[in-house]
Amino acid sequence: MMKYIIELILSIGKVDRRWIFLVIGLAVLLPLFFPLGLPIRATTATQRVYDAVEELEPNSKVLVSFEYGPSTKPEIHPMAIAILRHLFTNSQKVYVTCLWPDGQFMAEDALTEIAEEEYGLTYGEDYVLLGFRPGNEAVVKGLVSNIRKLYTTDARGTLVDQIPMMANVNKVKDFDFIFSASAGYPGTIEWVQYAADPTGVPMSTGTTSIQVNDVMPYVQSGQVKGILAGMPGAAEYEALIGSPGIGTSGMDAQSIAHLVIVLFIVFGNITYFIETRRAKKY
Amino acid sequence: MVAGGLALAFIVFWLAGHPGFREERIVMFLAITIMASTLIYFIRLANRGEKFHLRSIPGLKAVEEAVGRSTEMGKPVLYVPGIMDMDQVETVAGVIILGHVAKMTARYETSLNVPVSRSIVMKAGREIARESYTMEGRPDLFQDDMVHYLTDDQFAYAAGVNGIMVREKPAACLYMGKFYAESLILAETGNSIGAIQIAGTASQAQIPFFVTACDYTLIGEEFFAASAYLSQKPELLGGLKGQDMLKAFVTAAILLSLFLRVFSDLGWIGWNVIDFLTVQ
Amino acid sequence: MLWKRQIPILIATVVGLLTLFGWFIDNPGIESFVNDDATQWFDILASFAIFLGALNLMKLQGRKVLKQHSGWQYSLFAIGGFIFAIVAGFIYKGNDAVAWGVHVTSKGTLFKWMFDFIFTPLSATMFALLAFFVASASYRAFRVRNLEATLLLVSGMIIMVGRVPLGSSISSWFIMYLLVLVGSVAANIKFQDKIITFGVLLGGVVIVTIWGSLAGWPVDQPSIFYLPMLQDWIYNNPNVAGARAIMIGIGLGIFATSIRYILGVEKSYIGE
Repeated sequence: MMKYIIELILSIGKVDRRWIFLVIGLAVLLPLFFPLGLPIRATTATQRVYDAVEELEPNSKVLVSFEYGPSTKPEIHPMAIAILRHLFTNSQKVYVTCLWPDGQFMAEDALTEIAEEEYGLTYGEDYVLLGFRPGNEAVVKGLVSNIRKLYTTDARGTLVDQIPMMANVNKVKDFDFIFSASAGYPGTIEWVQYAADPTGVPMSTGTTSIQVNDVMPYVQSGQVKGILAGMPGAAEYEALIGSPGIGTSGMDAQSIAHLVIVLFIVFGNITYFIETRRAKKY
Repeated sequence: MVAGGLALAFIVFWLAGHPGFREERIVMFLAITIMASTLIYFIRLANRGEKFHLRSIPGLKAVEEAVGRSTEMGKPVLYVPGIMDMDQVETVAGVIILGHVAKMTARYETSLNVPVSRSIVMKAGREIARESYTMEGRPDLFQDDMVHYLTDDQFAYAAGVNGIMVREKPAACLYMGKFYAESLILAETGNSIGAIQIAGTASQAQIPFFVTACDYTLIGEEFFAASAYLSQKPELLGGLKGQDMLKAFVTAAILLSLFLRVFSDLGWIGWNVIDFLTVQ
Repeated sequence: MLWKRQIPILIATVVGLLTLFGWFIDNPGIESFVNDDATQWFDILASFAIFLGALNLMKLQGRKVLKQHSGWQYSLFAIGGFIFAIVAGFIYKGNDAVAWGVHVTSKGTLFKWMFDFIFTPLSATMFALLAFFVASASYRAFRVRNLEATLLLVSGMIIMVGRVPLGSSISSWFIMYLLVLVGSVAANIKFQDKIITFGVLLGGVVIVTIWGSLAGWPVDQPSIFYLPMLQDWIYNNPNVAGARAIMIGIGLGIFATSIRYILGVEKSYIGE
């Protein structure tokens, strides 16, 4: 009986990887249709972002930068939406820039959904989309020195001088807070290095899970106030603001998928262990 | 003498009131000057014939084996120089390694396929590859379309390279440059076709994916050292030695700063090393 | 030869030194060059260079179609997609109410339609492949070969489970029982004695059970065995320490390599 079980484990251990793909696919898909409702606990890093935003005085000027595209939208868009909700709930003035061309599309979608449809805010008075400018870190440096050199018009073609909320906003130091929703380069690190740290404007960020490693040294040194780490970070932030969204709904699927991967790893090691013992024996 | 002269000139300039110089950045200026001087010193030392010991890097030894394997199997070598442009140091390093790989493929008469993500990288890659083939005495084997442009978009590029891998089934896949999320997609597809894979990148977040999926990985500095290893030029080897000395200096500086910070926090000294080292 | 070697090296040296040391000079002109102009010049060059790449792409794909090489039908998609994007970007707006330029992100335009219904699903699909590839790569690569591989494996599993809500639902007491089980398996392998194995297992279970009963079975205590806490600690301590070390090494590598380019020591990038 034991021999049969061992042979079965070994044969499954040599499984074609497409079976692994199928199991992962089901592990992600099924919880989306049959949610488990697992409780979400905010980490310290997420709590620091929440606290930093909550501490802002009403009518603070907040610069939100969109640096992600369609590929990373599932991870970053939920946190961008949650941040916008939090900011608009607390009556902050939101200025949106984009270091990625795709970011402008993402920003349009987010602002339409939240600022226009949900909160009914006025463009130019409560929020403004300055849009994308090419140049990577040169854009950040340009914003630090003179916004109007980079942005003569906003993303809708309106002259910046004619936008009411742009009055007395000439450089990064005129903002009270920066939030970067970033999926890579240029992104959070450029904002820290060229804007937040030199000017002293407090900053938080939300990034993809893989990028957290790169940004964590800045978080630990206090140059960035907390970090929203991937979809779990987005879900945690949604829980903190009391507004569950796409991030929350994705967490069940991510939980099961991670568990399945761990089980595959354990299973693979059992197979490896049995094969190693056999090799030693013979 | 030159270094002494420059140092003297700077001291005079400083004492004269250093007009136009940002005083708050003097620490960084001195750090850069000392570090550059160290590198130059060891480069000059190497040029004068000094030999430096370099530990072997399996990934670099494997490059020639990989090209040899492709030759035996009659399959092409796929070379991916990253997805960023020539303004990234990693891309320049990747294009330089392409030159060395192109010499090997010219020597063994193996076909080389270099899909690129940026037009400037395409031009630079073509120039280097053409030179390499010419230096090996095989300019007839080189074709411009060996180095060809796919697309600027990250995942469209990954899809294109995957398609090349699945259709042409190269025997060796070399990933040398700056990569982002597409690294695992490329490496896993390369693994599925049974190719020998060697990766080199300084993109910290992607190193674990390459280590997992590739046969050999050049991590961080090993990737920048590749050019020196493959060419064995004295000035480049001297630069490597200088780099190692810099790392020793930085380690010593970290330990010293740690102790000074502790003493400052305990109140034993009234000087905060963090303020001194913070760059404005 | 002068144009192909000396002049490019001179340009690289002058611009490199200016960019490097310009940061220390308090002069608006140099500051402007270093902060804005230099990178913008590169962006302009790169933008015009796109024509080279696009022409090369069309040449290769067109040749495949004309000569009907294997897979030429897919090249039709490449050429068709290229033409469609040109039309959507420069020729046909689809919404006359918006101006050219703004039309790329405005509602109702062909370009926006292309972005929302072609580009976005394709990009998201390619990125989604990572989920499957991570699973197959992990399954293949995470093996208990030696101590370092074991540490990697264990920390990887802790972070994967601890990072998601499922991890916060797993009680530390469950982890402790799991460790008792692993301990008894290890004891069995080491001593090959059923009595010792049973002793370790029974002893462990009894200790954990008594401890848990006395403590009231809190989910997140003892915190050293609570996956989210453990995950936080691994993330913030050994992980960041290793990441910092690699970053310092990479930073030095970039510095040394850049100095070699600026000083003209490394000339391979313009050919030998």
